[in-house]
Amino acid sequence: MGKIFIYECKRLLCNKFFFGILLILLFYGRQVLNDITIMGVSHTAPFSAWSFGDYLSRMIPVLWIATLLFLTFFTSPAARRVSVLTDAAPMPPRRYEAVRCCAALAASVLTALVCIAEAAVFYGVYFGRCDIGSLTAPALVTALPAIMFALGSGRFLGQINERLVYIWMAAPLAAAALPLPGAMGIWNGSFFTEYPLLTGSTEPAFAVPAEIAAVQCAFLVCGAVMSVCRFGKK
Amino acid sequence: MKAVKYFSYEVKRLMRERPALLVIILSVLSPLAGLTLYRPASAGTMMSVYLANPALAGGAVSGILFGALTLYELDRTKRKRMEALTDAACPPTDTALIRTAALLPIAAAALMLTMLVWLPVSFFKIGSVMDLTNYCLAYLLFMGLALPSAILAASAAYQFTRRADLSFVLFAAFAGSSLTVWADDWQLCWLNPCVWALSDDFSNFRIFRSVAYMRLTWLTGLAGIWTLSWICVRRRGKGIIGSALYSCRRLYRPAAALLLLVCYGIGYAAQPIVDHSDPDPEVMTFAELPYLDGIVCSGRTAQVCPDTSDGTVDGKAVYMFSNSSGREQTAAFGINPGYTVYSAKANGEDAAFSVGGHQEFNEAMLEVAVPAEGDVELVVEYGGFPQESSGFSTHQGYTEISEKYICLQNAALAPRLLNVLPDEGGYPAEIEITLPEHMTVIPFCASEAERISANDGMAVWRYEDSGTGGILYAGDYICQNIEAGGIDIQFYYGRKHREVMETAGASEAVKTVVDYCTEHYGPLSFGSGGSLKLIQSRVYGGGYAGGGASLLDEEDFTSDNLNGSGKGAAPGEVMIHELVHQWWGLANMFDPSDSTDPWSAEGLTVYTAYRIVKELYGADYAEKYYTEQWRKETDDYYLNFYVREPEYLDRLPEDKRAEITGALSHVRQYCEMPLKILKAEKLVGGEEAMDGILSELFSREPDPAYPYLTYQNFLDACGLKEEDLELG
Repeated sequence: MGKIFIYECKRLLCNKFFFGILLILLFYGRQVLNDITIMGVSHTAPFSAWSFGDYLSRMIPVLWIATLLFLTFFTSPAARRVSVLTDAAPMPPRRYEAVRCCAALAASVLTALVCIAEAAVFYGVYFGRCDIGSLTAPALVTALPAIMFALGSGRFLGQINERLVYIWMAAPLAAAALPLPGAMGIWNGSFFTEYPLLTGSTEPAFAVPAEIAAVQCAFLVCGAVMSVCRFGKK
Repeated sequence: MKAVKYFSYEVKRLMRERPALLVIILSVLSPLAGLTLYRPASAGTMMSVYLANPALAGGAVSGILFGALTLYELDRTKRKRMEALTDAACPPTDTALIRTAALLPIAAAALMLTMLVWLPVSFFKIGSVMDLTNYCLAYLLFMGLALPSAILAASAAYQFTRRADLSFVLFAAFAGSSLTVWADDWQLCWLNPCVWALSDDFSNFRIFRSVAYMRLTWLTGLAGIWTLSWICVRRRGKGIIGSALYSCRRLYRPAAALLLLVCYGIGYAAQPIVDHSDPDPEVMTFAELPYLDGIVCSGRTAQVCPDTSDGTVDGKAVYMFSNSSGREQTAAFGINPGYTVYSAKANGEDAAFSVGGHQEFNEAMLEVAVPAEGDVELVVEYGGFPQESSGFSTHQGYTEISEKYICLQNAALAPRLLNVLPDEGGYPAEIEITLPEHMTVIPFCASEAERISANDGMAVWRYEDSGTGGILYAGDYICQNIEAGGIDIQFYYGRKHREVMETAGASEAVKTVVDYCTEHYGPLSFGSGGSLKLIQSRVYGGGYAGGGASLLDEEDFTSDNLNGSGKGAAPGEVMIHELVHQWWGLANMFDPSDSTDPWSAEGLTVYTAYRIVKELYGADYAEKYYTEQWRKETDDYYLNFYVREPEYLDRLPEDKRAEITGALSHVRQYCEMPLKILKAEKLVGGEEAMDGILSELFSREPDPAYPYLTYQNFLDACGLKEEDLELG
């Protein structure tokens, strides 16, 4: 299994496509940090967990698209044609699918880590501060459910029709433009810009209300479930 | 001939393709997005709202759609595994050329249909100020040229990568960059040009020229990249390098690509639209030049001839100097960076001159040698296309020169003297300007322009001014005379706007404001000579006031704005604000040396506007749209991270620091200071008492050594200390 995992990771990471995505991600991240995050969000410091969370929520569309693009390696017509062979291999197809999902997840997490590292460097250079500990909670609550849900839902849609994966890439852009309910505030960034103002403090400690946490957990679980389930015809 | 035949087959095929038809239909609908979702033009003029925004949105949306269609069509043969057959029938490079070219008529058809469908809608929404020239130019430039750009970009991406998915990502990144990170760079935003406003009453040729320039440079660049990708079209089973080497056997191909890319590079770097002024507003080296010793200027004249057909200016400026120093010295002038100095002559002899590379505040420095003679008449001939300030590159259009409107400010009118003091008479200036006969000349000063001759459809106007600079407006204006507050007001507005103005009773509003301020603070006393010019300018994003003249943005007079009820303080009441600046804000009222000082003309002006609005619309209205807004903004200011922790501001790069400081000083001037004045009003015993104090301050006898009204003067007049007005 380990060999297959490493092989799939190599397929995803060691190609010009991945480096292209990283370049776009770094470029976009720099623009967000330089133009928006530097001002600080809701009166908090630019290096606060809230401003960092806002940065990550703005990066979600790029991370989402990157995750779905990784999935297209497995849902493309060429990959489907190869599945005739891989399905005949002496390994349970479900386990093979799980290993491939893990590889896609690893690649997505790696892109998210690059995003986080870029912010950390930015904070270090401009403000001489980089408290990784305080950035962990917003990173977990913002990026992880988004990546997991993108992976699960993308895999689900890819099994129906590979073109749906491309259409699904527009989902976070639509979410950013729509007036979502408060519990989904992380998906359009409103949580990070509005919640600190409700606390009445200038530098409130990072906290996630129960309904937001529940929604993010639901996305995480849904994503995980959809990642491991096999839909449609075998 | 074969290629033409294939091209016509391809166009016909595309016209029957469902994806192509869908893209045409969506393109026709795309301007709808400009009325709802995507409104980059921020101005409130009818043309901005109902023409610029739909056309810009149409360009962005249909550009993306046509890019996607291009990828879909180019990938078709590969997707259907028909490449071997098509390559056997026609060389791959020819096929690529025909396929890309065939998309262009489809894009043209989509544009024509869009223009036909939206023409009646625009006429209906924009009303009496709708103009067919503006309509056609807006759709052709804002929307039309986005389509070939998108087709070329997508096609080039596909020809390089030969993968639809990767090309789509590259194209999406390219389009996304234009819509986000390049959106504020007028040269880079290839999909969505930087257009913030279109004028209703006057012309828009300056902004159209700017967009056309950006579009043409990008089209050249993209054509170059496309040609490069065309060279890389895979053939004979070779890879990208092998195919490129094979294609390069015909030398005209790489030569064409190189030529186009070089043209793009030159077009980008040597653009004539915007100057290269120092971005740091703190840099004022021109203002800090030491005055020349022993040289004074006793007067100047200028003869200015704008060419309304191509937006250029030619002029001759004459300066009279007295040189008592007995040696040659160098006089410095600020000149618009777009102008070329043709000659400089001192007392009829050629004088050495040079124009420096450093630019600031939309001026370059012209240095001319003044000979060691007693009286020197220096004649400078100049001309060219005036450039706009790079600091306002996203708000272009104010240096409009056309048959309908002209605005020439300071160094764009004539070289502005920087380092020579005036003699006792100041800098008396006589300006002559030659314009089409139908245009009215309005100098932005107390004096009137006089038409001295007319010939062959052109008229020569002359007026007197003083100072080293000067601002001139001209256009198709109507003048309405209003008597208010004991002064004669000449209210100039565009002829196209007559109906809207009369219906809205704008002149009555002007009368109300002037009567109020005269009654409460006293009559205008400085430099206006019992008269005041109110000039409706082309959309400007605000206004300004000078001795005897005040500029009013046409945005304040749109039919939507004038007829709107409950729009609150902005932007309709900007008219009141700018008028009030005649009382609070002319040059000798506030020290202009520190533009970030919270005590400025704006505090008292905003406060007075609030009082007028309170009288006109009631206390509740004034509370809701003025004091509540001030409190909210001021509270936000005090909570701002960089206000609480200023040491972090010092760590930031200079440009960011300047940006943040500028934004914060705006709040201090426009919100914090009016709140302090309001607090002072309560402490001194109410509105009547404050009116008395302000009236005294307005009519005070200024100290000639330092004539400015200071915060301390205000506190002393109120009998208060600085800490009394601290906002808790």
